Amino acid sequence: MPTGALENTTKDINPQIGLSTSGNQFLTFNLGDELYGVDILRVQEIKGYTAVTKIPNTPAHIKGVLNLRGTIVPIIELRTKFSMPTIDYTAFTVIIVVVVRDKVMGLVVDSVSDVLDIDNKDIQPAPQFGAKMDVSFLNGIGKSGDKLVALLNMDRLLTDGDVPQAGGAAATV
Amino acid sequence: MSTDLSHFKDAFFEESQEHLTTIEEGLLQLEQRPGDIDLLNRIFRGAHSIKGNSGMFGFTAVSQFTHKMESVLDQLRSSQMVVTVEITDLLLQSLDCLKTLIDCAKSGDSPDDVQVARLSAQLEACQGGGAPAAKPSAAAAASRHSQVPGAHHFTITWVPPRYLFQRGLDPVQFIKELGELGSVTSVILDPSRLPALKDLDPEQCYLGWTIEMETVKDLKVIEGVFDFVREDSTLTIVDTPPPADESRGSSEGAKPLGEILVETGVVSQSQLNQALSQQKRVGEILVEQKIATPEQISEALKKQTEASAPAKKAETPSIRVDTVKIDRLINLVGELVITQSMLSDLGSRFEMSQLPVLLERVAQLERNTREIQERVMGIRMVPIGNAFSRFPRLVRDLSGKAGKKIQLILSGEETELDKTVIESIGDPLTHLVRNSADHGLEPPDERLAAGKSEQGTIRLNAFHEGGNICITVEDDGRGLNRDKILAKGIKQGLIAETDKLSDEQIWMLIFKPGFSTADKVTDVSGRGVGMDVVKRNIEGLGGTVSIKTSSGKGTTFTLKLPLTLAIIEGMTVRVGKDTYIVPLLSILESIQPRREMIKTLIGKGELVNVRGIYLPLMRLYEVFRLKPELSDPTKAILLILETEGERVAVMVDEILGQQQVVIKSMEQNFRKVEGVAGATILGDGTVGFILDVRGLLEIARRDVSIAA
Repeated sequence: MPTGALENTTKDINPQIGLSTSGNQFLTFNLGDELYGVDILRVQEIKGYTAVTKIPNTPAHIKGVLNLRGTIVPIIELRTKFSMPTIDYTAFTVIIVVVVRDKVMGLVVDSVSDVLDIDNKDIQPAPQFGAKMDVSFLNGIGKSGDKLVALLNMDRLLTDGDVPQAGGAAATV
Repeated sequence: MSTDLSHFKDAFFEESQEHLTTIEEGLLQLEQRPGDIDLLNRIFRGAHSIKGNSGMFGFTAVSQFTHKMESVLDQLRSSQMVVTVEITDLLLQSLDCLKTLIDCAKSGDSPDDVQVARLSAQLEACQGGGAPAAKPSAAAAASRHSQVPGAHHFTITWVPPRYLFQRGLDPVQFIKELGELGSVTSVILDPSRLPALKDLDPEQCYLGWTIEMETVKDLKVIEGVFDFVREDSTLTIVDTPPPADESRGSSEGAKPLGEILVETGVVSQSQLNQALSQQKRVGEILVEQKIATPEQISEALKKQTEASAPAKKAETPSIRVDTVKIDRLINLVGELVITQSMLSDLGSRFEMSQLPVLLERVAQLERNTREIQERVMGIRMVPIGNAFSRFPRLVRDLSGKAGKKIQLILSGEETELDKTVIESIGDPLTHLVRNSADHGLEPPDERLAAGKSEQGTIRLNAFHEGGNICITVEDDGRGLNRDKILAKGIKQGLIAETDKLSDEQIWMLIFKPGFSTADKVTDVSGRGVGMDVVKRNIEGLGGTVSIKTSSGKGTTFTLKLPLTLAIIEGMTVRVGKDTYIVPLLSILESIQPRREMIKTLIGKGELVNVRGIYLPLMRLYEVFRLKPELSDPTKAILLILETEGERVAVMVDEILGQQQVVIKSMEQNFRKVEGVAGATILGDGTVGFILDVRGLLEIARRDVSIAA
């Protein structure tokens, strides 16, 4: 019985998507009407938006830095990162604090939504849009009921100016 | 118990190190002031402490050797001998030997007996005659094969009379008295006459002793010690010559065959030596007979050395702190506790009317915290003099070896630096000083020919500059030879012949690995190893090395080391809505310029005239692309900042105040940001950036060059 279950799980994993067996729970959040998800194990905490200190001479999507209990944490505005129009912050605006390659950083999103279990069979590879849109930072798209969740690959999303490359590790994830 | 002892041993080694330094410094000064009794006393005390302590821990080799040094020092002290160059040389050599002995005692290695014996003999010889043996090699040979003249090795077997205690005599006193006449090497108790406990009369003495001692006094004097109890004691005193080779002879008991043959007159010493020289090592014989290959033998030898080298104990670094510093800290903690109890007392029954009291106490708490923090940081700070102290000796030795007259001038020894930094700059500094002495300074005749004084000067100086510590090594020698370095650089393929290099770039060539312009390689320097290490070490500490040189006048090496402490004193400034912190140490002054002080160049570059000197004006809001409140320099504030000798006026909207800030890393979760040395958390919990003046200059320059 246990062996059977194990085989089952391993078979379920779509090698193209490259998800780990660590569970398919995602924290989902909204940017406008769209729903995005991050692997819940990457999330350290969620906190309300507080003013940040702007870092001079950095790309626009880097909002600034925040004092998170004594450590300096960079904050990235996901809307600007995705070249979406910015909106005024509301009481729902939150910072999702994630850990990427041992570095802690915060993502500003419109609001958090839910924690969803998404089966591997409900995850399909990200469609290719060619030059129109870069989707390399998507692990795939998941279906939950009638909702579509864009599953983010944090390692690929936060690269270049955001996190220093650790020997080009990002490309292999 | 054993762990306890080893703990004390560590303290002993540490203390010994200090005493050694004291003695060394003292001896070097003694050359200049031979008659200084205070100085002699200080040296003597150092030696005496080492002797006493080492004896306590059973490091007999150390204590015996120190004893000999001490005897010479004692004679110098009591003016029975005069300080001569020979004696200082001998004492310095002995000091080195003592260092090795102590190191050996620490690591458990066996010391170089030959050297110890040679120096011991010389020390003893110089005590008697007033001057050390003229030819040390002869003395060394003598000490190896025959007994030191005048020294006796007595074996005393003493069984005191039974009534010893009843007469009020203490056997320990006798042994102590012997100790005053020479050095007692071993005391063995003979308890064989002790009766069973029921038969024992506590007022009787049943014990006996076998005492071995070395002394220059003769038999009569030794016998004199026992005068009071002579009649009824069983006393034998035998003058035994010490084993010829202590390390071998004493441990094996029997003498080597060769020695017996020499003693009995069968062969002469020289014949024996010749025979011995023909004797081959086992390994060589095996190789000759083709039983084993040289590789196998060397492999086996390696194993042997590995096995014989005991595992070295890992050293736990410790720090010696002035008691004054500790006392102040304790006082401060006391104050902190009082403030805390006052606050909790106030908090337990707080009313709004007491708000001023609360504020006052919070202010007090702040003061306490700040002071404690400063003091705690101060504990790690050690005066750089500790790192400098090795140089007088080094220069003395170097000047002897190179046949040059060198004067060393130290200054700024009181400059405090973090202990770890001090430890790591020792080697680079040594390289630089050696380099100056060997390459920089010319021989006396060359100096005289160049119209300089015969004596060359090396200056070591340490001082604070901006947020850095600067250490300079300066010589008044021939200076770096531009053409020679250039030629060598081309020859070694470091640069191409067509390269146009600035002087600075040429000087930097000497830091390349393997680079040397020395015509001949001496054992001091010239192998082209060292300067690259200097650069690497200093850069490893986050510092820089720079060279200033002028042909025929001398060379100055400047090491610039950052004060890499986690806390800095900063000035908070405001630009628009943003707050930045400027390291206080880089601020020279702040001014509000008048209109006529501002000038432009090519319509763009702004300069400000500060008391006759035009400094570039940098608008922080431009560099950082911020929205300023003020864009008119005459209404804003200019901070005159200095970095690495370069000055710049930085324009900000307002100065908010001065505070200590804890540096937080930006790299930990983000990356290095240009123009920002780090971040900190401000009083209101938000993040503020600490400006990196150097980086600002670089941004400003690059932006200008892009624009141009």
